[in-house]
Amino acid sequence: MGKEYLGEFEELVLTMVGILQEEAYGNAIVTEIEERVGRRVNLSAVHVTLYRLEDKGYVKSSMGGATNSRGGRRKRIFKVTNAGLAMLRALKESRMDMWKLIPQLKFG
Amino acid sequence: MKQIVPPRTALQFLRLVCPRQLHEGIEGDLLEEFEHDVVSRGATKARWLFLWRVLLFCRPGIIFRNSFSLPITEFIMLSNYLVIAFRNILKNKVFSGINVIGLALGLAACLFIFQFVSFEFSYDTFHSKLDRTYRVTNDRFQHGKLIQHGTIMYPTIGPTMAKDYPEIEMYTRLMPGGAMNVKVNDEIFTGQNCHFTDEYFLQVFDFPLIVGNRESALKERYTIVLTETTARTFFRIEDNDFLSVIGKTLYWGLDQQPYKVTAILKDVPENSHIQFDALVAYATLFTPEHPEADNSWTWSDMRHYLVLKPGVDYKNLEAKFDDYSQRYFQGDKVSGSIEKFYLQPLKRAHLFSDYEYDIAKVASGRAVWAMLIVAIFILVLAWINYINLTTSKALDRAKEVGLRKVMGAYKSQLVRQFIFESVLISLVAFAIAVLLVALLQDSFNTLIDARLNWSRIFTGIDLQTTIIFFSLMVGGMLLSGFYPAFVLSSYQPATVLKGKFQRSSKGQFLRKGLVVFQFTASAALITGTMIVSKQLRFMNDSDLGINIYNTVIIQQPERTSWDSTFITRVETFKTELARIDGVVSVTSSNNTPGDRLPRAFGIRLAEHPSSARYTMSVMNVDYSFFDTYKINLLFGRKFVATDHKENFQDITTVMLNVSAAKLLGIDNPESAVGKEIIWGNNGTRKWTIVGVVSDYHQESLRKPKEPMVFRPTYSTYHDFSVLTKDAETQPLLAQMKAVYDKAFPDNAFQYRFLEEKYKTQYRDDDRFGKVVTIFMVLGIVISCLGLIALSSYTAVQRTKEIGVRKVLGASLASIVSLLSIDFIKLVLIATIIALPIAYFSMQGWLESYAYRIEISWFMFALPLIAIVTIAAITISMQVLKTAMLSPAQTLKHE
Repeated sequence: MGKEYLGEFEELVLTMVGILQEEAYGNAIVTEIEERVGRRVNLSAVHVTLYRLEDKGYVKSSMGGATNSRGGRRKRIFKVTNAGLAMLRALKESRMDMWKLIPQLKFG
Repeated sequence: MKQIVPPRTALQFLRLVCPRQLHEGIEGDLLEEFEHDVVSRGATKARWLFLWRVLLFCRPGIIFRNSFSLPITEFIMLSNYLVIAFRNILKNKVFSGINVIGLALGLAACLFIFQFVSFEFSYDTFHSKLDRTYRVTNDRFQHGKLIQHGTIMYPTIGPTMAKDYPEIEMYTRLMPGGAMNVKVNDEIFTGQNCHFTDEYFLQVFDFPLIVGNRESALKERYTIVLTETTARTFFRIEDNDFLSVIGKTLYWGLDQQPYKVTAILKDVPENSHIQFDALVAYATLFTPEHPEADNSWTWSDMRHYLVLKPGVDYKNLEAKFDDYSQRYFQGDKVSGSIEKFYLQPLKRAHLFSDYEYDIAKVASGRAVWAMLIVAIFILVLAWINYINLTTSKALDRAKEVGLRKVMGAYKSQLVRQFIFESVLISLVAFAIAVLLVALLQDSFNTLIDARLNWSRIFTGIDLQTTIIFFSLMVGGMLLSGFYPAFVLSSYQPATVLKGKFQRSSKGQFLRKGLVVFQFTASAALITGTMIVSKQLRFMNDSDLGINIYNTVIIQQPERTSWDSTFITRVETFKTELARIDGVVSVTSSNNTPGDRLPRAFGIRLAEHPSSARYTMSVMNVDYSFFDTYKINLLFGRKFVATDHKENFQDITTVMLNVSAAKLLGIDNPESAVGKEIIWGNNGTRKWTIVGVVSDYHQESLRKPKEPMVFRPTYSTYHDFSVLTKDAETQPLLAQMKAVYDKAFPDNAFQYRFLEEKYKTQYRDDDRFGKVVTIFMVLGIVISCLGLIALSSYTAVQRTKEIGVRKVLGASLASIVSLLSIDFIKLVLIATIIALPIAYFSMQGWLESYAYRIEISWFMFALPLIAIVTIAAITISMQVLKTAMLSPAQTLKHE
């Protein structure tokens, strides 16, 4: 069932989950994306993507502890799985490989 | 800081759309964002943003997550199912066409009837106190026999009941005022119907008010409330300026007293059981000198409505009315008969009333229910067709099913596929049905003489009914899909794919049963239709005992003053009318055929003890009445001019009909002539019987003929009946108008044809007849469609068998009979089952008519022959086609 393919947004979200570690939940990811990439994204879009990643087995989720804010609702914390990490790494490497193939322009 | 919370509905909505396992995390994230927004953007904006974000979560990725086990596969398969469904539909165009059209016809009929029925059930539902409002009804008994079953009673009933029983919150009194004849700004208007109602009327009933005060509008004497249309007509209002009408005056008849307009109502809704164009204050009817309309215990023209306090059981109150009657009427001492009072819930007034002197717009509740049941039957027929056609076609799909199973489809998937297909077909059929309804709406409305449409329906009925109706539709749709789906999905791939698969005998029984059911319903409908139409024809054609043809009724001249010359002028008018060439005879009478007559309650023979009391319908007529109406005189003589007296108290002669003579205990009507009866003036006034006429149908054949007494009177504002030589009355009408205008200037010449008027009594019956006929045709068409498909299918199945038979020398006839006999058997069984059903239900229907046809054997034989013939023709068309094929062609392959 080789759907070894990740969309651009999926990759972005997956990366953020990797960066945020223990604090990777919906809102944090939205904020993180805005801060790091300067892109405003929808909470719902992030959620849907996270679930899709979970279906594909790149992240796994668990409920965090209860807090006082958020009306007492627990957070759903996402964690990158080994497969996810491997995927990210593979993506990065293939990019780097391709980057090397672009002739480096020199001036002068 | 005060806690700011996000919109509650948005949270509820979120809970609804989110799968449970995701809900907490999502809601938490949203709330967190919301708290953030409250700080950075303010509460209002945050709330809007919250709502927007919740809406954004309505995406398939969230809503459908984990609700299908394999969502991706399902979606892929869905498109495959669609393709396969379309290929199948296109592969058997005729077959699918029959399927869809049958279903669409059934649905369309059902939709129409649903419109009609829900409109009938919506009567009076716009009154907010509907559940607590009751009509008082009144039965009167003499000698232990019911002599009147009516809604009319004495004006004292309402006030005394309200005084005696604290359960009553409010009462209102009403007396019909009939057609008005008014003068507004020197213009004359006639025909607007009015009621005299007291000030509580508009509080008991919620007729919507445009301007005016609900509480005080009808309080004062000589005040009048108009409906929108009446106000427009009377006062020529252009731009809804109803306020300007308030306080204006109009004159009624020759009354010098101006009537003041105090309020304008919206037009009375069509689904109100009381209809009127104007309301006049009840206080107008009585004065200190003439208080009868307020306090009489014998004048019974008033209708009463009670509003009970919340939580009161009307049956308990009704039980107390026996005491009430005893208290005020002391047996039959006060009014001449034993009075019993009942309460009828207002919501039953339209459909379940059988009262005499009823002003309510009534229809037969049983007929409405019957139509509903028949409509459901038709729908079931259509669904059965669908089941039958699909399962009989199952063989064609057997290979597909086998292959799918081999490729790993679950049974549940196959079930889903076939249900999906049937829903698809049902939806197409439904779309066609809606289209049909839209196209045929006008014709249907003309047919049943109503103005129905969907917007009216959906505003008129409560949500519950709509939900029931639609869940019925959807339920039936799914149910009709289930059986074929399970049959199809249960095939074993091993047997099916080996190629030896034959049509199994399993399910044969069910299919046959369904065909039997269809034709049972059709046969019952044919019998029903025949009996209904025969009864209608019987009522139209039977000898009424009077002539209603070639008769014009001219409305009485209301705007003519009652003075010493009135009688002379009326008599001159009649003579001049009779002088017109083509007019045979002219008469005046207080009522004309088709009217419910007033009754007299205290009549007896002079030789009877004074305690005897008999009740008869009263007709005040002039001397030419019996000639004009061609009523058969049996004994004695008709009235002559000298029987009439200018002073009513001087009249001493009466005539009776046979029933009246019998009622008085005179067995031989001949001996009634010359006897004296006592009637009126507190049992002192004597009248001599001068003649006896045969009974005639004053009202429709639904009602029994009643004992009648005729009095010779000059017209006191009686309508005129004019008998003409032939039906060509148009040129005569112009001459009549000329005579009328000369005799009664300042009056409008208004006429109608007696035949039309009399036959309006059969409006409801005619409508029922038409609807039943339509249903019968539909039922037969749908059943036959099913039969065509089934028989053609069997024929195709047996093509090879037929080929072999032909080679071996079978004749065409024997093959046709071989193929048809199975079906004909089924149809025969169906007809036989149908007969008793039809017999008992139609017997019940006929019982509501006092005069009815006898159900005879041929009414059952004919449907039997008809339906077998129809079925035979339907089948043979298909069968012949197959039977005629040359065996060389059919046996070539293999």
